[in-house]
Amino acid sequence: MTEQENVCETRIRFKFYKKDEFKYLSHLDISRIMIRAIRRAELEIKYSQGYNPKPKIGFSPPTPLGVESMAEYADVLLEGNIDERTFKKKLNSELKPQMLISEARIITEKTENLMNAAAVVLYGFELHICSSDNKGMPGRFYTGLKKDLTTGPDFCNSIFDLKIITAEGSSDIILLKLFGYVKIFKEENNEIFKFNNFYGFFENWLKKYCIDIKNVKKEELFVLCGGILKTPMEVV
Amino acid sequence: MDKIKRLDSDLLGRLLKDIEKPGRYINNEIGTKSKSPGTMEDFQDLILMALVFPDIYEVGMSNLGLQILYEIINKHKCFSAERVFSPWIDFEEKLRKEKVKIFSLENRIFLDSFDLIGFTVQHEFLYTNILNILDMGGIGIRAVDRRNRFPLVCAGGPAIVNPQPLSRFMDFFVIGDGEEVVISILQRVKKYRENNKDKNWFLKEISRLDGIYIPGFYRFYYYPDGRIKSIEPGEKVKKAVIKNLNEFQIVQDPIIPNIKTVHDRFAVEIMRGCSRGCRFCQAGIIYRPVRKREVGSLVRQCIAGLKKTGYDEISFLSLSSSDYGEIGHLLDKITDPSKHGRLSISMPSMRLDSLNLKLFELIQSGRKTGLTFAPEAGSQRMRNIINKNIEEKEMLDCIKMAFSSGWDKIKLYFMIGLPYENDKDIHEITLLVEKIIMAARERLSGKKLARLKINISINVFCPKPFTPFQWVSHDNPGNLDSKFDYILKNVSKRYVNINWTDSKKSRIECALARGNERVGEVIESAWKKGARFDNWTDFFKLSVWEEEFVKAGLDIDLFTRKFSVDEILPWDIIDIGVSKDFLLKEYDRARECL
Ligand code: SF4
Repeated sequence: MTEQENVCETRIRFKFYKKDEFKYLSHLDISRIMIRAIRRAELEIKYSQGYNPKPKIGFSPPTPLGVESMAEYADVLLEGNIDERTFKKKLNSELKPQMLISEARIITEKTENLMNAAAVVLYGFELHICSSDNKGMPGRFYTGLKKDLTTGPDFCNSIFDLKIITAEGSSDIILLKLFGYVKIFKEENNEIFKFNNFYGFFENWLKKYCIDIKNVKKEELFVLCGGILKTPMEVV
Repeated sequence: MDKIKRLDSDLLGRLLKDIEKPGRYINNEIGTKSKSPGTMEDFQDLILMALVFPDIYEVGMSNLGLQILYEIINKHKCFSAERVFSPWIDFEEKLRKEKVKIFSLENRIFLDSFDLIGFTVQHEFLYTNILNILDMGGIGIRAVDRRNRFPLVCAGGPAIVNPQPLSRFMDFFVIGDGEEVVISILQRVKKYRENNKDKNWFLKEISRLDGIYIPGFYRFYYYPDGRIKSIEPGEKVKKAVIKNLNEFQIVQDPIIPNIKTVHDRFAVEIMRGCSRGCRFCQAGIIYRPVRKREVGSLVRQCIAGLKKTGYDEISFLSLSSSDYGEIGHLLDKITDPSKHGRLSISMPSMRLDSLNLKLFELIQSGRKTGLTFAPEAGSQRMRNIINKNIEEKEMLDCIKMAFSSGWDKIKLYFMIGLPYENDKDIHEITLLVEKIIMAARERLSGKKLARLKINISINVFCPKPFTPFQWVSHDNPGNLDSKFDYILKNVSKRYVNINWTDSKKSRIECALARGNERVGEVIESAWKKGARFDNWTDFFKLSVWEEEFVKAGLDIDLFTRKFSVDEILPWDIIDIGVSKDFLLKEYDRARECL
């Protein structure tokens, strides 16, 4: 639908996190909570026309239940003029500390909706090496990782990239950054990264290295823009 | 003084691993009101009450009564109420396996650290869940086994107006409206704790309040056949009643659940009580007298509430909304100022007729979800007997009008097993359904007709305490099944969908509802055999219940038979506000319709 020039409305993209207890809430729960908070904040969402009017708000793809996320996004269309700071302030005063807006930006140009635009998701795993005798362990682990994950049959088509960072100050902690596809690219012949399947496999796989998953977080989401990955905030 | 114990927050994460709908157990909703003192010591100055709804979170959070009490208690500076719900089967298993006691949502306080535990009991099939929760809290289920001064355990709600089946488990019962009496009770709990008095002192203190029934103060004597010979002392316990609903504001900032619940909307009680006098209806008697909220302040409170909650749906609750005189005015005022807000309105108990159908369509604002009628019986004769004043013609006119304006879903409620029911009455249920189908054929075009859906819900009548039919017998399962079969065979399947309640299950319900204190033994042993969530078809263990009645040496028939009008009934010790004479007169008037 084309918006008329003289209609006063504001389209905003915002980023929020859900952590602690709120990681146990589903995507639908989160969107319902957000819509109610917007209503409480007396920010007027625009509704679609028709018999069953729907609020004009769209979210980024769901984060699996039980996983904290620092990178949830939504686009909302509001009645009237409002600036980013007021939006963020008003809305945050209606939200719980487990789920707050970290950034908001007005969308001025046409942008693809988040659900379709999302291309790659970044999960950060915090891994703990349990065995005391861990000489050479990271090396072996890294080779195994390459062999079984990035080139092995199960997940190679759904993992876009893997990075390992050794945590500062501790040799027992490995930080693994996993970039998974959330979109099919024909030319790459890829698959969608299925977090729950991966997690089950990975937890088990780590056992042979005596490694535990201490923590996992969705850290960022990327969209493809002119052939490079950018965060949804960078493109508006 | 005992120390208050709480669940370690690290532990919660471990417990919730692989648990279905973990959002049930995480608290942190908007609108929670329990006191959260920074240090554990501060808790010692508070009287802590656990408000327990013995069903899952999604059901309990849809109950307005719970939100009302929660607000009233937490407004008080000396008291704090926290919520407890039944954990679902998987979480119960986990808690038991890890040897973790059940805890409240807000501050994750273990149940046995509370001063007072209050169950709100909506129906009889929650009885086993009550025992299960006490047990999961490490609390003795029988009152006599609880030697410690705390926690005190009580129950209230519609399913304990006959307190006898649960009497062995409770220190006391609260009969009637809870709004005022709960504070009076908590004030006495405070005195009891501060002055280090004994339990008997406390019970005596509260026994002076309206609505308090203390099982330990009464003796029941029986005839050898199980009927009651006498109750001592004979003085009745008077139901607690709040005279003026307007003195209590509606809950304007209820707890807003984080997960989807059964009724996820802003709920407002516009009226309490119903004066229609359907003779089978327990709610119609026990919530008397009729009290209405004044419309002006109601409107203001609703608008404030919608703003505070951000809900886009409001539900006006009462037993019979069409009897609220200013309903039109109320709707006008609510829909007007919030027109930007896309508000939807629901009125679950609105009685439809051709006069208010237009109003109803307005409420639905284009969504033709379905029209509900509760004729309860098929024949006018039967409707006269039960005093359900619905004229068939009136109802059919309304349905025809509805078809003409595009509705194609109808829901009908009937009961079978009503007193004095005969084959003709059952046959007339099928005739009524046929007439509706005929009307649809006349009024609906081919395409619409193909979409026609008539959902019929057939409930087995279960005679309940404090109704004019409290004396009648529960129809036997054989009869009920053949009546049901008859209906099933004789209505056209093409448009009709039928669901029904299990006749044998209904018989157990009747025995629980009209039971005496000995039924408590059966509840206890059925629970020990795994009975819980009895209201869920998948979990109801009929054979367990039947066996445990036998083992206890109790004939189910003792409770489902026809009671004689001059015998002493287990609930006679309660004065519900309507005299037994009145009920008897109504019972006689039903017979005059024969
Ligand atoms: S069935 Fe409904 S209308 Fe009849 S008495 Fe009960 S609440 Fe009132």
